[in-house]
Amino acid sequence: MLFQEYQAQFTAHIRNPQANRKPARVADSRMAVYREIVFNNIFASVSACFPVCRQIFGARAWRKLVRGFFAGHGSETPFFREIPAQFLKYLSTQTIPEHLKQLAHYEWAELHVSTMHVETPPLSAQANLLSEHPILNPAHLLLAYDYPVHMLSKRHKTAEPAPTHILMYRDDEFEIKFIVLNAITYQLLKHIQQQAISGKQALLEIAKTLQHPLPETIIEFGQQILQDLLQQGAIIGSQKLKIIKSP
Amino acid sequence: MASIADIKGAGLGLKRELIPQIQSRYQTPEISNIQFLEIAPENWIGAGGKSAHDLAWFVERYPIVCHGLCLSLGGPKPLNTDFLKQVKVFMTEHKIPLYTEHLSYCGDTHGLLYDLLPIPFTEEAVKYVAARIRQAQDVLGQRIGIENASFYAAAPISDMDEITFLKAVLDEADCLLHLDINNIYVNSVNFNFDAYAFLRQIPKDKIVYAHIAGHLQVQPDLLVDTHGEDIIDPVWALLDEAYSLFGNFPTLLERDTNIPPLAELLPEIIKIAEYQARYRATQKAA
Repeated sequence: MLFQEYQAQFTAHIRNPQANRKPARVADSRMAVYREIVFNNIFASVSACFPVCRQIFGARAWRKLVRGFFAGHGSETPFFREIPAQFLKYLSTQTIPEHLKQLAHYEWAELHVSTMHVETPPLSAQANLLSEHPILNPAHLLLAYDYPVHMLSKRHKTAEPAPTHILMYRDDEFEIKFIVLNAITYQLLKHIQQQAISGKQALLEIAKTLQHPLPETIIEFGQQILQDLLQQGAIIGSQKLKIIKSP
Repeated sequence: MASIADIKGAGLGLKRELIPQIQSRYQTPEISNIQFLEIAPENWIGAGGKSAHDLAWFVERYPIVCHGLCLSLGGPKPLNTDFLKQVKVFMTEHKIPLYTEHLSYCGDTHGLLYDLLPIPFTEEAVKYVAARIRQAQDVLGQRIGIENASFYAAAPISDMDEITFLKAVLDEADCLLHLDINNIYVNSVNFNFDAYAFLRQIPKDKIVYAHIAGHLQVQPDLLVDTHGEDIIDPVWALLDEAYSLFGNFPTLLERDTNIPPLAELLPEIIKIAEYQARYRATQKAA
């Protein structure tokens, strides 16, 4: 259809004015309005999510990146809050330093946790973190990076690789909290995140992996950690284990 | 379930910046003229956390309209019926009686561009858009409102003017009109037509509610629909004329950028209510 050919020219020009001519007989001063407002709108949506990346890249390089995304991206989501995830996908295809890709993910994670929709599961009246299944705050992400992404800033633009584990969660006041974890605690939380096992079972698995001679020490130590996380609202309580009848 | 009849008086587009200010003044005379609110479903569907918490507060206290931005009624990709199904569930869940969208498109075959782009005014485009509006109405199981959009570039391939296009789509799609007073004015300056002549041709019975807003004057002959300024007098005059022609209808203030404290927006909401009251009075006297 003729009107669709016109629309295709119109949008191709907005996306990439250098490569695609504007439709014939349309005033350039008016096309300029669209070139500007459409890009600026996307630029604002993306930039709001990645303030640290933007500072590290610098204004010019950042604008170029968003330009590239805008010119070629195929974002289908009607939900504005999901635009940054589309940009993140685009970044993963670009030749940029690995620590900045991971930083971008870390910045996106904050937006994601703040807006994720979750249901709170039923909990035991009293938290029994060792004998029952400890339940992580349902609005959380358990993150693992090769760089200390949380240390990066305008003043610290690079970092040596170092395994970095972070628990990010949303508290009752809708504030986003971060806890930097050691590798063992991260493993512990992975266990309880992925399987319905008791705190004690999860800690015994850790002791096994570590080939620890005294599993009791690990349990004692781990109980303290789980208790701390409960106090901070990162763990919200516990659930009785389902009894599986043997056949 | 709130019904379309609950959408009345003056309303305000719900922006996050305004949420705590409305909450703290709830049920005070100061904001009694805010009688309904409008939200973009693209910002609220599926959002948890603070958004879900706030939305729950507002749906209990105000009639709400969904005013969409990304359906791309005039766009080349198949209509996003998955999204429309989500809209339907969302409207049911939150007792929202009405969904409106722009008579525009916001993407191409590569994806969405998240802005309102002008559909060329051609016979083919009328048929195409009207069929998609009907499809949207079928998915939602109710009529939707279509807003006359603002635009900046006239398509040389258009074979009719904007009002002819708008009326043809409204007829062909059997949908409602979400009348944007500011957009009539913006387009009348951008394309040098008579806003009053345009207004007089509006099919009165199709109007479901109206928008009014401020815009930015970039050139003497170019206005950009920023929703970021105070409403100017010629736009107020056009609203007044619309009420006198058609009787008063619900009217909502849009303020999307450069958002001042609520207290600075209230005079505009009060002014809408005053215009409406004035017309109601003359109607009774007649």
